[in-house]
Amino acid sequence: MSFRHRSPHGGNNSSPQEPPPRWSHGRKRGADGKRRKQNESDSSVFDENKYRPSDNRLDSFTTPKGPGPLSRCSDWGTAVEEDEMRTSVNKEIARYRRRLLINEFTRERKSSSGSSDSKESTVTVELETDEVVLMRRQKQINYGKNTIAYDRYIKEVPRCHRIPGVHPRTPNKFKKYSRRSWDQQIKLWKVALHSWDPPTEEGCELQEITPVDLGEMETESVGSNSTESQTSCQDNDDTCSGTPTKVRHVDYQAQGEFNLEACLSEPLKDFDTVS
Amino acid sequence: MGETGKEEYKIQSFDSETQKLLKTALKDPGNVDLEKVANIIVDQSLKDCVFSKEAGRICYTIIQAESKQVGQSIFRRSLLNRLQQEYKDREDLRARSLQAWICYVTFICNIFDYLRVNNMPMMALVNPVYDCLFRLAQPDSLRKEEEVDCLVLQLHRIGEQLEKMNSQRMDELFSLLRDGFLLQEGLSSLSQLLLLEIIEFRAADWKMTDAAQKYYYSEVTD
Repeated sequence: MSFRHRSPHGGNNSSPQEPPPRWSHGRKRGADGKRRKQNESDSSVFDENKYRPSDNRLDSFTTPKGPGPLSRCSDWGTAVEEDEMRTSVNKEIARYRRRLLINEFTRERKSSSGSSDSKESTVTVELETDEVVLMRRQKQINYGKNTIAYDRYIKEVPRCHRIPGVHPRTPNKFKKYSRRSWDQQIKLWKVALHSWDPPTEEGCELQEITPVDLGEMETESVGSNSTESQTSCQDNDDTCSGTPTKVRHVDYQAQGEFNLEACLSEPLKDFDTVS
Repeated sequence: MGETGKEEYKIQSFDSETQKLLKTALKDPGNVDLEKVANIIVDQSLKDCVFSKEAGRICYTIIQAESKQVGQSIFRRSLLNRLQQEYKDREDLRARSLQAWICYVTFICNIFDYLRVNNMPMMALVNPVYDCLFRLAQPDSLRKEEEVDCLVLQLHRIGEQLEKMNSQRMDELFSLLRDGFLLQEGLSSLSQLLLLEIIEFRAADWKMTDAAQKYYYSEVTD
């Protein structure tokens, strides 16, 4: 895959109102799903953090004998894609719940071997189950993953080698967060991913971005770490021998599969810093 | 893809350049204008009933190939949107060419049959398919043998699935069919036979009973 070079001025047709370069460039695909050509500006991406009218899923209704809410979307292509996302998300949440239960069960068994009656802190985490919310969040995550930066990131840093506080982690869409908190997490995550944007011809524009509590992001040192470990660590392997369980990181695999095991080992506290 | 491929996807009716394009779409979808391919397939399915009967297959394969190769669904999206366009203008289509209308219904039902989303039929197509079948159950269509034949064929193929997705509409459709069978004037005896058979078929839970098989499909011996 060839890297598309970022150009700060939006390519050949510079529109009068230019979106900030970092939001539109480095995207492999435009909003319609088609692969974008080099330097193509995409003004619709500018709106991605706003609630676009076409994305407004509040207009939903339930048909009496239908299987669920239908969005008032008149376009079959989009309707089917939403369908697909919805069923995928439902499968994911079912799996996540099952694994949480199993995890809870195994923890209880371990703790009950010592004490007799104490209900050791089985933290019953409330999950986000609203389909509308989950799909919106999934779309936001997809925007972030649908970037060259993300591709480069996951190639460079296998999941088992991620260092918390240094490497970006995809926000967990199943946890309860306020709308503001979630949107902020997504924003910070995407900002963090920009460190893996392909280099531009005119030097790296990225350093202009104010680092947000991320510590030093030394792509070079990370790079050298991963090159030596790439042979020994497989991408899909979440049981890396060298990594202690508690610092194992949660993230979705590149293909969109949900790494439940890693997710369950993360500390159950609120996500207030990007890690 | 040798002769078997051609047979399987029934693409013999295309000219050789188009055949080549389709074969590339099946093997290397990322390097093909998939929107163009979708339009070619829809256009042909409106002309060639043999093709439209099984076109779902080639569409399914292209969708899978595209998803695997580039993780996208441009072909599916183009296909569905084109299908939707034709659906919106179906009355005009029927007025222009009965044959094209019949081909269209055959095609959309075949797509519904083959293309699934996470192992579920496409929700978005359920009502449009019903709408098409309801149209075929209208008096003016019942008077045309080819339309009755089309209606009955589709119900044989996808009736059971369709009913699962929305049983109420299926009940309504069969109400019309019963009425048509009993009261419709100008119904040919073949059409009557077809309607009776499908009514029985559904009553037998979308299965062919031995008795029905014998009655409708066996040679009559004097």
